Amino acid sequence: MKGPFSLQTRRDFIRTGVLGGALSWTVPAFLSNTFSALHAEAADAATQTATGRDSTILVVLQMAGGNDGLNTVVPYASDHYYKARSKIGLPANSLLKINDQIGLHPSLAGFKDLYDAGHLSIIQGAGYPNPNRSHFRSTEIWQTASDSEQVERYGWLGRYFDNACAGADPAVGVAVGRQMPQAFSARAPTGICLNDPQNYRFMAGRRTAGGSMNADEKSFRELNDAPSEEMENSGATIGAISGPSAHHGSVMDFLQRTAMDAELSSDKILAITKKTRNQAEYPVTPLARSLKLVAQLIAGGLPTRVYYISQGGYDTHTNQTGQQERLLSELGGSVKAFVEDLKAQGNLPRVLVMTFSEFGRRVAENANGGTDHGAAAPMFVIGGKVKAGLHGQYPSLAPGDLFNGDLQFKVDFRSVYAGLLEEWLKTKSEPILGRKFATLPLA
Amino acid sequence: MLNALPAAKWNYNCAAHLYSRAGFGGTPEEIESLTRLGHEGAVSYFIDYDKISESEDRPDWAKPDPSRAERFAELQREFRAEKSSEMTEEQKKAEIEKRREALREVQRGQIRDLEQMRGAWLQRMAKGPRPLQEKLALFWHGHFATSAVKVRNAYYMWRQIDIFRRMGSGNWLALLEAVATDPAMLIWLDQAQSRKQHPNENFARECMELFTLGEGHYTEKDVTEAARAMTGWSLDRLHEEYAYRPRLHDTGSKTILGRTGDFDGRDVLEIIVTQPQAGRFISKKLWTFFASEDCDPGLLEALSGVFGASGNEFKPLLRAMFLSEEFYADSVMGAQVKSPVQWLVGTIRLLERPMPPPIVSTEMTKDLGQDLLLPPNVKGWDGGLSWITTNTLLARYNESAVLVMGRGNLGAQGDGRPGQKMAAQFANAAARNLAPAEVDLLVSESERGGAEALIAALARRFMRRPLEGEHERILRDYLGSRTEFNDGQIRHAIHLLMCTPEYQVT
Repeated sequence: MKGPFSLQTRRDFIRTGVLGGALSWTVPAFLSNTFSALHAEAADAATQTATGRDSTILVVLQMAGGNDGLNTVVPYASDHYYKARSKIGLPANSLLKINDQIGLHPSLAGFKDLYDAGHLSIIQGAGYPNPNRSHFRSTEIWQTASDSEQVERYGWLGRYFDNACAGADPAVGVAVGRQMPQAFSARAPTGICLNDPQNYRFMAGRRTAGGSMNADEKSFRELNDAPSEEMENSGATIGAISGPSAHHGSVMDFLQRTAMDAELSSDKILAITKKTRNQAEYPVTPLARSLKLVAQLIAGGLPTRVYYISQGGYDTHTNQTGQQERLLSELGGSVKAFVEDLKAQGNLPRVLVMTFSEFGRRVAENANGGTDHGAAAPMFVIGGKVKAGLHGQYPSLAPGDLFNGDLQFKVDFRSVYAGLLEEWLKTKSEPILGRKFATLPLA
Repeated sequence: MLNALPAAKWNYNCAAHLYSRAGFGGTPEEIESLTRLGHEGAVSYFIDYDKISESEDRPDWAKPDPSRAERFAELQREFRAEKSSEMTEEQKKAEIEKRREALREVQRGQIRDLEQMRGAWLQRMAKGPRPLQEKLALFWHGHFATSAVKVRNAYYMWRQIDIFRRMGSGNWLALLEAVATDPAMLIWLDQAQSRKQHPNENFARECMELFTLGEGHYTEKDVTEAARAMTGWSLDRLHEEYAYRPRLHDTGSKTILGRTGDFDGRDVLEIIVTQPQAGRFISKKLWTFFASEDCDPGLLEALSGVFGASGNEFKPLLRAMFLSEEFYADSVMGAQVKSPVQWLVGTIRLLERPMPPPIVSTEMTKDLGQDLLLPPNVKGWDGGLSWITTNTLLARYNESAVLVMGRGNLGAQGDGRPGQKMAAQFANAAARNLAPAEVDLLVSESERGGAEALIAALARRFMRRPLEGEHERILRDYLGSRTEFNDGQIRHAIHLLMCTPEYQVT
């Protein structure tokens, strides 16, 4: 089925641009005229569309900063855990128990509900050989699915776009935020980046009539609680890591292409967000806001296969407890609302959410009530058709089993990617991941 | 490698390039006078900025305020005292809420201060007498990427930027030491809380990985040993200044990058900067920022050679860069994606218009993807192509309309939280009061008289690379065969120029 915003539209758009002479002089018209000549050829060369209303959807959720996996999925039966964490260890009776070995952080009530409902799976001990403790290098490894010793230019989702979605609608990948994740970097730039649908359009010449805000600054300051939330993220040396963008071609090509994709996607996105409503009660947080937007875009039938969202602040070197509590509560509450929203829409069976963080943290706490950079940690996969339950194996905390004080991984994260590519996005993983990884059966 | 540009090649285009890289872009008049200085004179104009006098007024946020810390301490004491006494649950809750509200009030003040500081900095970039000083401060801010999100103190943020201003073209070791013992950095990377029993590795690691050597040029052992050596660097929160605390310092022997001894933090920095890799690392980063992301090995050796020969001084390195033929290569000129700050400040300069008020400029840079004083992480902004997404490109096109036409719709929405939404609405309201650009400052009477002359004048002012044939044709079609253009038409033409890919690079 042809999506409302398919390749055909792109080609038509471009043709109209070329032939339609009597354009009024607005910026969009100027742009479409400009792009038309430059991109008609490219559009004609495009072959097929991988997108459609009924396809499966992957939502990638980055927990930036290195989430402490040990205090997320807690091995409460292990004495080693309490020995290593005399200050920040979570008491067994506070946990949301999964079985007689592990329990979820008390703030993850949302995830516990999803787990009980059969919508959540936990991949224990996810990581990769020769782990790197740099935020940036390790994020890059997760985003490009490379080996630890090897540098890849393009992202794993970018390679999926290049391999499986050539000629697709630009909105085949949607990153919520202002920056493109390195995971989307592709030979041919693909995917759009969207922070705020109201703002995601050309506004010049469409000045809003009767703006009612006319208080002067002083009275505004007096009348309103000015924002304090942006300062709440106290421990966040890592607010977000998107990683550098790359593509094959010149800077000018990249700019042209990005401008065209913006023009092509903006009206549609505004229209969708105007006509769709969220059908669940979300918390009032930035992550929930991102998920609300994704839910609306799914409801509105945007032909997207991959959404990408990010939550930052997990770099808890000091005073970890309160900070992680807040972040995990935001995570669990937001994702649960998102699942409810999708369920009400009837789209839950089409959607999987996968979380990842660049590393877990050291088994031993530090002197500041925090933890330093570590290695293996759990991932979560959430959705209507997920094979719920536990995957992998909890890494041993016995001092003799640690490597440099870190947990050793049990599941290569690329097996998770391979499983999602093969079984969820229905494409061969080998050309994308560079070689064959065991596919973890997740869906 | 690194040959000086032959004198005969120095021209208007070279001067324009230098103006936008060592500064934030020049108007045609400014570029002409720079051209007349000759190449060396022009480079000296930027580099020897300390010869240009600069007046400075220091608002309250640029001064320490011991009473602020005192107030905090008082709140904490009260809170503890109250908590320990016999209180009902309700009373306790009320106390907690009271304290929270007091903290919020302090934070609100900080956010207002930060906004003012950001505005003042953008103003200095756009209108101040020392463009390279501010450009370097921006570079170092991205390099030592410290965010107010965690520092939460406007004075500390100002103090760090001021170090960049004062020491940004000086000696590498001196700058490193100043930054390592700077309160904002001590908080940002947790060094203030490190002690010998359990050294905190955050600063030691990022110092080697991001500030001085780069990933792969040190070992995990170097990180933990350096963290031990750096213990003792601490913060006197009451006086809002650095303090050395011998009690916290680990006096044992450490082995760092192959050398062994009872090192302290300064020793570590000294050991680091004597590594040849340290010179290469920072030389490459400066070249990337000022010239190009491409830096072949021969060029890099030449650059770090100049740097090393000068005893790790930045001024000689910058001078060699700006004088070099490589800096004016075709692949370098007009090929850098403007950062949001470069884009905004440059646009203000080229339009010869006032910088919008802080609430608007804050919103603008944020929407463009560069929230000044709030970098996304300790690595700073990725830069280059990463500045350009569908989202940020739309923001450029929309914001240029606001700056050219005035009285615009910023369309800011906040991020969903109530306070943010109000701030966004207020920024929108302020943007609706902006005056349009004054066309008389930008084109002469004769340039208004025909499409050819007008396009030539506008391209000369606004474009650092020629318009693609197709874009020029479209602009020409738009302007038509009129023989006189009014202000509105000219503003539209300027806005169209700013909505081309070519305007996004410099």
